[in-house]
Amino acid sequence: MAAMRGPQVMAKRFQKRDKRFLGIGAQGAIKGFFGGNALLSIAILLLICVFLGKEAVFFFPKHHEELELYRESGQEYVDSMKRQVEGHAELNGLVAQAYYAELDEIAGKERSIVEAFGAIVDTGEDLGEDEIDDWADARDDLEDARDDGDAAAIATAQQAEAQARAAWAAKLGAITPELRRGEVDSYGRLTDADWEQLLASLGEWDPVEEEPPAMVEEAEAALKRKMTSFGDARDAFATAVSDLRQLKERLRGIAMDVKDEAVADQTAAARKAALLAGAEKAVQAEDRQRRLDEAAAIVIREKFPFAERTAVFYESKPEHAKVAEEYLVKFDAALALLPVAPGSPEAMAKLETVREKAPDFRSDFQRYSAAVQEWTHDKPYGWFKSLGKFFFGKDWVTNSSWHDFYGLLPLFTGSLLISLIALAVAVPFSMGAAIYVNQLAHPWEQHIIKLAIEFVQAIPSVVLGFFGIMVLGTFLRDLSQVEWLSWVPGFPMQERLNILNAGLLLALMAVPTIFTLCEDALNNVPKAFTEASLALGASKLQTILRVLLPAAISGILAAVLLGFGRVIGETMVVLLVAGNKIAIPDFAAGIGVVTQPAHTMTGIIAQETGEVDPGSLHWRALFMVGLILFAISLFINWTAQKIIHRFRIA
Amino acid sequence: MNDIDLDPVPAATGDDAIPVPDEPASETIIEIENLGFSYDHGKTETLQGISLEIPKNMVTAFIGPSGCGKSTLLRCLNRMNDLIDTAKVTRGTIKILGQDIHAPDVDAIELRKHVGMVFQKYNPFPKSIYENVAYGLRIQGVQKKSTLNEAVERALVQSALWEEVKDRLADSALGLSGGQQQRLCIARAIAVQPQIVLMDEPCSALDPIATARIEDLITELCENYTIVIVTHNMQQATRVSARTAFFYLGELIEYAATDKIFVKPDKKQTEDYVSGRFG
Repeated sequence: MAAMRGPQVMAKRFQKRDKRFLGIGAQGAIKGFFGGNALLSIAILLLICVFLGKEAVFFFPKHHEELELYRESGQEYVDSMKRQVEGHAELNGLVAQAYYAELDEIAGKERSIVEAFGAIVDTGEDLGEDEIDDWADARDDLEDARDDGDAAAIATAQQAEAQARAAWAAKLGAITPELRRGEVDSYGRLTDADWEQLLASLGEWDPVEEEPPAMVEEAEAALKRKMTSFGDARDAFATAVSDLRQLKERLRGIAMDVKDEAVADQTAAARKAALLAGAEKAVQAEDRQRRLDEAAAIVIREKFPFAERTAVFYESKPEHAKVAEEYLVKFDAALALLPVAPGSPEAMAKLETVREKAPDFRSDFQRYSAAVQEWTHDKPYGWFKSLGKFFFGKDWVTNSSWHDFYGLLPLFTGSLLISLIALAVAVPFSMGAAIYVNQLAHPWEQHIIKLAIEFVQAIPSVVLGFFGIMVLGTFLRDLSQVEWLSWVPGFPMQERLNILNAGLLLALMAVPTIFTLCEDALNNVPKAFTEASLALGASKLQTILRVLLPAAISGILAAVLLGFGRVIGETMVVLLVAGNKIAIPDFAAGIGVVTQPAHTMTGIIAQETGEVDPGSLHWRALFMVGLILFAISLFINWTAQKIIHRFRIA
Repeated sequence: MNDIDLDPVPAATGDDAIPVPDEPASETIIEIENLGFSYDHGKTETLQGISLEIPKNMVTAFIGPSGCGKSTLLRCLNRMNDLIDTAKVTRGTIKILGQDIHAPDVDAIELRKHVGMVFQKYNPFPKSIYENVAYGLRIQGVQKKSTLNEAVERALVQSALWEEVKDRLADSALGLSGGQQQRLCIARAIAVQPQIVLMDEPCSALDPIATARIEDLITELCENYTIVIVTHNMQQATRVSARTAFFYLGELIEYAATDKIFVKPDKKQTEDYVSGRFG
C-alpha cells in the first residue's frame, strides 16, 4: 500500500492547509493584527514626543531673545532698582505691623478714646451743623459787642450765645443716645466705664473751637507720649526709600517706552505690508488713502537705536549711586531708631525679624546696586543665564505690560510639595491596607476593602475637586481655627484652598495605585518564606516585618514611585484645590508651609493653554513645562522598572 | 531515587545500622490518640482516628500514596494547619512531651519553637547564610553577637554545611546549590534546638547525590533530635528510619519497625504498597 501511494502522496500530507488571501494566511493575519496594535502604542508614544518637542523646542531661542530685549531696553536695569525697593517694602511692612501691634498693646485704650471721639465729632458736626453754626455766629456777635463795649448789646449777645449754647447742648443730648458704641469704637478697647465717662465728658466738648474734652486731650497726649518715638522711627523707615522709588518710577516709564518702540520696530515690516495689502482691497478712496498714509508713516529701521535711547540710563547711574548710598545711611539710621524693647511681644518678634533680615537685605541691596552700575545694554545675554531663568526662575509672570517671566521654580515647587504630601499620607495607608488584606484579613474583608479601594479609583478627579473645595477645604479651615489646635504649624490657615488640601485629595487618588501594586508585590513573595518563618516559631507580625516586607521591598518601592508618577501628573484636583497662587511657598513657615496656596506644573498648563496665542512664547513655555512633566513621568516609570528588576528574587 | 524499587531491600543491618527495636524501647515523645482532622469544617475527615506513638531520638518515617494524609498528620504536629482557616481537628489528641498541644493555653508559636520543620522545597530566606540560620534566634530576641555566632556555627556544623560555607556566611543563601540550600534549611530549623524536627519530603527536589548527603545528615541528627520524615521514596525510608508508619486514605494501616514493614508486614495493603504492586 505504501509503495503504491508513492512519495508525492506522502509529501501532500504535510502541506499547509489554511486558506490564504493575498498570500496572507489566517495565522499571519492574526499575528499582524496583534503586532499592529503593539506597534501603534509605540507610534503614539513617538508621536507625543515629536509633537511636544516640536512645540517646545523653539522656546529657548525665543526666550533668550526676549531676555536680550529685556536687557537692551533697560528693563533689567530698572528691575534691579525695583528689587531694591521691594526688599525695602518687605521690611517696611514688618515695621508697620510691629508699630500697630505696639500701638494696640500699650496705647490701645488711648487710641480707642481718640478714635471714638473722632467718630463722635463726625456724627455731631454732621447732625448738629446748624446748631454749631448758630453758636459760632452768636459767639462772634458777642465778641463784636464786647469790642464795641455796648453793655446792652453785650447782654443781648450773651443771651443769644447762651441760647445757642443751650440749643447745641440739647442737640448733643439728643445725639448721644444715638451713638452706637460698636460703630464708634472700632477697636473695641473701651470698657463700659470708659464709654460712660467719654459720653459724660462730651459736655466739655467745644465744637466751635474744636476743643475736645479733657479726657480725650489726655488720651491724645498719652498716645503721643507713648508712640512718638516709634512713630518717628516708622516714618523715617518708610520715607527712607522715597528718592530711590522716585528715580525708579521715572526710569521705569522710559524703559517701558523703549521696549514698546523696539517691539513695534520688530513688527514694523509686517504691519506695513498688512496696511498696504489692506489699502489695495479698500473700497472707499479715503479709506485707502488713510491706510496708505499710515503705511507711509511706518519707518522700517534696520536696527533699533538702543544705545541712543538708553543713554538716559547711563546718565542716571551716578544719580542712583548717590541715592542708594543715601538710602543706606537713612536705612541704618531708621533701623537704629526702632525701639529695642517694645511692650508688645508681637512687635518685639516683628522687629527682631527686621533686624535679623537687615544684613541680608543690605547685602542684596548692594548686589543690586552693583548690578545697576554694571548694566550695559549691549552685553550679550548668557545662554546659561537664560536657561537658568527658566529652570530656576522664581517668577512666572505672564500677560504683563512690563516683562513676562517664565520661571519654572514656583510651579515645580508646588507640584513637588503637593506630591510629597500626597505620598507621605498615601504610602503608610496603602501599605498598611495591603499588608492587612494580604496577610490578616478574612476573605470577606479582603473583598470589601478591595472593592472600596477600586471605587475610590473610579471617582472622577473633578468630583474629588468639588469635594476638596466644598467639604475638605471648609473642614480643614474650621479645624485650623479651633483654639487648642493653634500650636499646629500653619494653623489657623489663611486659605481654604492650599497645598495640604490638594495633597490630601491626591493621596486619596494615589492609594488605589500604591495599594494594588503593594499587594501584588506581597503576593509575589513565595508562600514558602512565610511558612518557613512561622514554622520557626515567628509570630505573624515578626514574619511580616522580618521576612515578607524585606522580600517585597522592591515591589513596594516601585509601587511608591508609580504612585508618585500618578500624583505629579494629576491635573484637575490641583487646579481646583491648590489655590493657584504662582509663588514659591514661604519655607520660613517650616511645616506650616503646607497651608499656603500654590500652583502646579499640570495646573498651569490646563489653566493657561486655552488663553494664549498658538506659537507665542507663552504657548511654547507651557509646552516646555509639559515636556518636563513628561520627562519626569518617564524617568519615574523607568526607575520603577529598574528597581523591580534589580531586586527581583531569583 | 524517586522510582519505587520493585524489590524492596531490608534496612541495612551492618555495623552502621541504627538500633532497630521491635517496639519503641526509648521513651515516647509524641503520642497521637484517635486523631481526626478535617480541611472543610469537619464535613469530611482527611485523617480518621490515627493513633501512634513516636519514640524519642529516632527517625520515624511516614509513607503512603499521595493524598493518604501523611503530610497532613505531620503538619498537625506543629500546628501548621492552624494557618488554614477551614481546617480543624475533629477528634482525638496529640501530646508532645506529655502536653496536649491543642489545649487552650498552648501557644502554637511556642510549640513551633520546639517542633521545627523542613519543607519539601528548600526555602531559605532571601537573606545571607548567616541571617538565615540566626533567624530563629533573632525572633526569640537573642541579640548577643557571641551567642548568635556560636549557635550559627553549631547548627551549620551539625547540618554538615560549615566547611562549605564558613568563608561566605555573609553571601546570599540563594547562591547555594539546591542540596546546600536544603541543608541550610535544616540548619535553620535546628539552630533553635528544637526537640523534634519534622521533615516533609525533604529530598524530593534534590538529585541523588544531594539526597544521599541529606540522608546521612538525618542519620546523624537523630542522636540529638527526634525526626519525623514524610517520604515517597521507600528506599529512603528503609535507609534512614527506625520505625515506619504506612497510611492509606486517611487511616494508619500499619506502624512498626522499618524492617518489619518492608520485609514482613502484617497487612496485605502494606505489602502491596511496599512491593510496588499497589493498585
